[in-house]
Amino acid sequence: MSAHIICVTGSGLPLLSRKKGNSESLPFATIGSLNGLYMFGKPFNVKLLNCSTNDYVSCWREFEDSIVIIGIASGCSLDVLNSLLDIIFDAIVLIVGIDEVKQQRNVERLKREFRVIYPVIDRLLDSLDCGETGNKHASDILGYSEVISCPENNMIKIVLDSYTKCVDSMYSCVIISEKIAVATESWWSLHPNEIKLLTLLAVADNLTTAKDVPVFLPYKSAKVAFRFVVCTLMPDVMLCCLCGSTPALNDIKHFAMQCFRNSTSMLGAVVNSSPRSFPSSWNIGSSILSLLLVNIPSKKYTIQYPQQNCKKTTASSHRLEILRSFLYRTVDQYMVKLSENSKDGNANDDNENLNTAFESYWCSEYHKCYAIKFNDHILCILFNASPTTHVMRLTVQKCFKTIFSDKQLCW
Amino acid sequence: MDSDDLLGPLNESKDDYHSSDEEDEWSDGSSYSSYYSDSNSTAPDWEPYVDDFTGELLYIECHPFVVQHNKDNKPSSHREFFTKSHLRHSTRGKFLRLIRKRESKRKKKNQKPLEVADTSTTSKVKFQDSQDGEEKEVLLEIDAENRHNLSSDKSLAESLLGLVVSALSDGNRVMIAGFSYDSKAKHERNIKIGDWLKSINDIEVNVDNLDDILQKFINRDVVLLKLQRVTGVDVTKDPPINELNNESIFVKEFLSNLSNVKDEQRLMHVLCARLVGMVYINTENLKESNKDNEDIVYCFPTPVKSNVLSTTRGMYITLNHLLNEITKSKPQVSSIDHNGQTTHIAYNNFGSKLLLFMLPDVMASRDDTLLISKKIVRLLEFTYDSIDSCFADDLNICQLNHFLARFFAGSLGGDVWCTIQQLLETEEDDLIKPKKQYYFEDLLSVVPVINLTDEANMLVDDALTELEASDYREWNEEPLDCQRLFTIIGSAYYHSGYLVTSHFIEGDLIDVNTYCKLHGYFHLSKSEPVKSLVLWREVFPVSCRKTDDKTIKCPEGKRYLLIVGSGKDLLTVIMEAGGCTEPAENNMGPDAFYVEEVQATLAHIQEVGISELANRILSTDSNEQIALPVPNVSKKKGEFININFSKATSSAKDLISSPKKNEVTSILKRRSSDQNFINHQGSSSNVSVADEYYDRQSEGSELSQGGYSEKSEISDDSSKNFRRVQYDDDSDTDGDHGDDSQLDSSFDVPDIRQSLDSEEYRLVQLTAGQENVLIHFSELNITRGVLLYPLEPRITSQTYEVIVPNFKRCSLEIHRMFQNTLRFTNTPTQEIAKSMMNKSLVGIKEYGILFECPYLDAKDKKNKIKYWVIGRLFSNHHAKEIYVCYRDGIPQNLIDIAFKMEMSDM
Repeated sequence: MSAHIICVTGSGLPLLSRKKGNSESLPFATIGSLNGLYMFGKPFNVKLLNCSTNDYVSCWREFEDSIVIIGIASGCSLDVLNSLLDIIFDAIVLIVGIDEVKQQRNVERLKREFRVIYPVIDRLLDSLDCGETGNKHASDILGYSEVISCPENNMIKIVLDSYTKCVDSMYSCVIISEKIAVATESWWSLHPNEIKLLTLLAVADNLTTAKDVPVFLPYKSAKVAFRFVVCTLMPDVMLCCLCGSTPALNDIKHFAMQCFRNSTSMLGAVVNSSPRSFPSSWNIGSSILSLLLVNIPSKKYTIQYPQQNCKKTTASSHRLEILRSFLYRTVDQYMVKLSENSKDGNANDDNENLNTAFESYWCSEYHKCYAIKFNDHILCILFNASPTTHVMRLTVQKCFKTIFSDKQLCW
Repeated sequence: MDSDDLLGPLNESKDDYHSSDEEDEWSDGSSYSSYYSDSNSTAPDWEPYVDDFTGELLYIECHPFVVQHNKDNKPSSHREFFTKSHLRHSTRGKFLRLIRKRESKRKKKNQKPLEVADTSTTSKVKFQDSQDGEEKEVLLEIDAENRHNLSSDKSLAESLLGLVVSALSDGNRVMIAGFSYDSKAKHERNIKIGDWLKSINDIEVNVDNLDDILQKFINRDVVLLKLQRVTGVDVTKDPPINELNNESIFVKEFLSNLSNVKDEQRLMHVLCARLVGMVYINTENLKESNKDNEDIVYCFPTPVKSNVLSTTRGMYITLNHLLNEITKSKPQVSSIDHNGQTTHIAYNNFGSKLLLFMLPDVMASRDDTLLISKKIVRLLEFTYDSIDSCFADDLNICQLNHFLARFFAGSLGGDVWCTIQQLLETEEDDLIKPKKQYYFEDLLSVVPVINLTDEANMLVDDALTELEASDYREWNEEPLDCQRLFTIIGSAYYHSGYLVTSHFIEGDLIDVNTYCKLHGYFHLSKSEPVKSLVLWREVFPVSCRKTDDKTIKCPEGKRYLLIVGSGKDLLTVIMEAGGCTEPAENNMGPDAFYVEEVQATLAHIQEVGISELANRILSTDSNEQIALPVPNVSKKKGEFININFSKATSSAKDLISSPKKNEVTSILKRRSSDQNFINHQGSSSNVSVADEYYDRQSEGSELSQGGYSEKSEISDDSSKNFRRVQYDDDSDTDGDHGDDSQLDSSFDVPDIRQSLDSEEYRLVQLTAGQENVLIHFSELNITRGVLLYPLEPRITSQTYEVIVPNFKRCSLEIHRMFQNTLRFTNTPTQEIAKSMMNKSLVGIKEYGILFECPYLDAKDKKNKIKYWVIGRLFSNHHAKEIYVCYRDGIPQNLIDIAFKMEMSDM
């Protein structure tokens, strides 16, 4: 597989170029030509949007009339690549702010600032569904944030609330094993892309005990920066908050220590239980390989495995890859986008929006996927090839019931 | 049956639809009679239209389709554009000379001799050119029978000459307004409606003295008429309607290029603005100072400057090159945005040359554009051998311009074919909104088929085989001493654009189908009253094209496509000259003998009732006669709604709150109603069943159409001892083939046709469970190149209108997903590792989506229908895909459904 992301200023200077996979990075001349293609059309009032070959898709996007982002990737669909370019632009805004993107006073400084988000962009590239086995981050889903649902969450939430009061902020969250465990209401009110980017920024280059980064929220405040403060409570457990110029970093660290002093064992239990398995008491059949639960309004999801399949292996990353492709190509397309469109009420296309999808499945030679949408939730389950379609349907329905009747579950 | 009798009822039938409709269709289709008159004259009707240079021919003759107040028969008119002043004489009538005029076996069997003999010798024609228009002299025989029994309701001219006359615009000159019912004059090529009748036997006539003059010739046998074509629109104040309407705009555009330069410019302008186009670029000619666009080999629409595709071609050339370098794979399709309109460009590489094809997003999606462009390339290769030769000479380019203009205009109209003229007329008002949904039948290399009965298929097979055998020994007493001119390498019979039988190999079938579809022959046969159609041109079918494989040797020679049409039927034949026949000549014209043979075959097929049968299957509202019981389904759907939902309006709410509980109740409900149904079915009285249905229907809030037809269906069933398919014996009896009123119609059918009519259709309920829940399906057989789907159902159900397009759209998506699987299976193992395809998608063989949509046919739109759209790929031996759309409720097994489809298909 291979994927390239190139970002060029309106005047043609390359700002960043990232790649993923085993292909060589693009030479400067090629980057110039790719940008030249886009520029060529401008006098003709033509904007080049995309181009696809058998396996590759490429996209050109211009943002704010000042920055062109070009993406080339294999195996994924055009929609996914397009939303990747969107979130990459959001990542750029997050770091430098919209004004800097528009004006570009100092390109060299911009380039330097962009280095901060290289790890974020690299992680984002991992969320393309290229069908590759062995992807470490096969559980990343573009446009959604991964969360951990565990019984301890209720307790952590209480502690987090007290911490949030201490730092005089409304936006804070606890990230465990690179996934959001608990976050405040306000945190969830941020744009899904913002939540996603902040999480990735928090876990990127995680070598320090604390981080204090100025961030512009692309949708909430693209012009005024917040402070994004990350404290590492213990390995794999991070406490994030967005705050103003006060309190000082040391104070924040102090508050964090104070609030979470008594919860270390609880947090440690959560870390050790990752990846999450669903309780064996659920008793929902042995053919289930993994389970993906999506909350549509807050754009969050959780992935769980049956206990015997908990180990992280290549096979499990392949399974996640399948589940992700299923989500991108079917669930997202028919269940999420279709219903969002009809809510927007495009009255002119009356007939098209009358149909809303509720269930979908794939049967392949080796695996089967089944998804059911119920109100705001979608449950996708990956099965092995043995169950028949209606058995899968019943199993997913049963899972749905079990999950929502489980009072301990908090997410 | 002579042609006049056959054509007669056409005009009367409008009101009396039910009883005589079939008969009319039949008689409409049976205009083959004109072929026989052709065969006896020295030159067939189409002869003058053969292109002198290329030998190509396109001849379309239509029935006039607006009827004048006098209900007598209308003549078929002839085309008036590019009429040649000389007749091209048949140069290759070798067979005609060699083989004595004979009545074919087929004709003898089914047809009475025709009346042609006495009309063909009555006149001699002389041309005189004058300034005002063509002046013609015609010798016309006076009708001996009518000479003495002149009736009061006919004018003298009508009785004697068989001509209906009226006055020209000046009120004085006599104009031919029509022909009488049994007129001999109407067979006379040189008398046209609208002609000015100047003199009879050199005595000048006008409106006042016509009758007096005719009186003088009442005892003559022959009179000499002098006629003059009146040019221009001022022929008469009140032109006869039939003259104006016997060729629709569609047919006119089919036949001729835009005559008007101004129109052409406007059209080009419109097409440029609509962002359609095709450009062929030779990248080798690309130079730094590209002033005269040397690289552009072909560009449509012109001029190059206003065509977005050609002005920005540099972008695509570079992209084509650059992306290939980066990804090691050729670009296929790009999208651009031009002033807010999205448009897609498909790439086709031919060595250093690049063919770009552009369609706007409002017309076709990215993937659609790619598939359409592939179809166009296939068409071009079929017609011109290679893309290069397609643009090699001016004549081809001229043809291509004409084709593309019609194709783009036609596609811009959305679901209906829009003519160039309509496009131009409505452009200012912006009326034409292309909102086309492309489906399988438009996009893929598959041919939609209609399944007739086994016996009907056998009859068509027989006829085609006989044609293909070209065994003329029996028809000729002396042995033939010359080689035949053509071998027939395949043929196919279409009705209304649906394939009935094909004897082509798969590739050729698709070639021919693409040709007919894109050129609009199917639209023509579906919607225009074609009397006779003859097309002849050289083609390059895929089976005979040169391949890289040296082991396959194809005989040197030329292949010709001959399409003969009549009514809604098309018979397509590919003939080969060379190989075992006489050596091929360049630019061969059609041979009258072969054309007649094909026409006779088509006439035979029509004669035995195939056309009628197909037409009935297509036109019956209930659509029950199809071998697959689909439309019952939608009727069933109606019934389901009436019974279930009207009783249980609350269930819609339950549905949202607890899906499981509701599912149980709905199943119970349905079962109870089914139980009901079965009990009554068991009872002997038809009436009680029907009553029960009435009762049940009226329990619901309204009596829908479904209720009525259900009732009639059931009484039919019980009265007719319906044959059920064995393994389906507990399905309910919806598999009947409809009401029999048409069968009992009184017209005289040959025996064979009766046997066709009485054949029962094998019907299988495809879905499991007692109730048929199937809403739609399609079966895609890429290997055989055929597509099977229910014929356009004529159910006026809004819900259906919502569900079916969605089904088709989704099936296309599912089809695209299956392409990954097929590609993976066809890739050698060592290349799979290198390949960049998404490996998560390579094994998918079944894909289903459950949709919900509101039930729109009821007054309150709160009720919902849940239905599945499922696609299944069978790739074991040959790739086959089935797509079904059925109502949610009973779990279905797709393999089971596929099996049943296969059973009923064969």
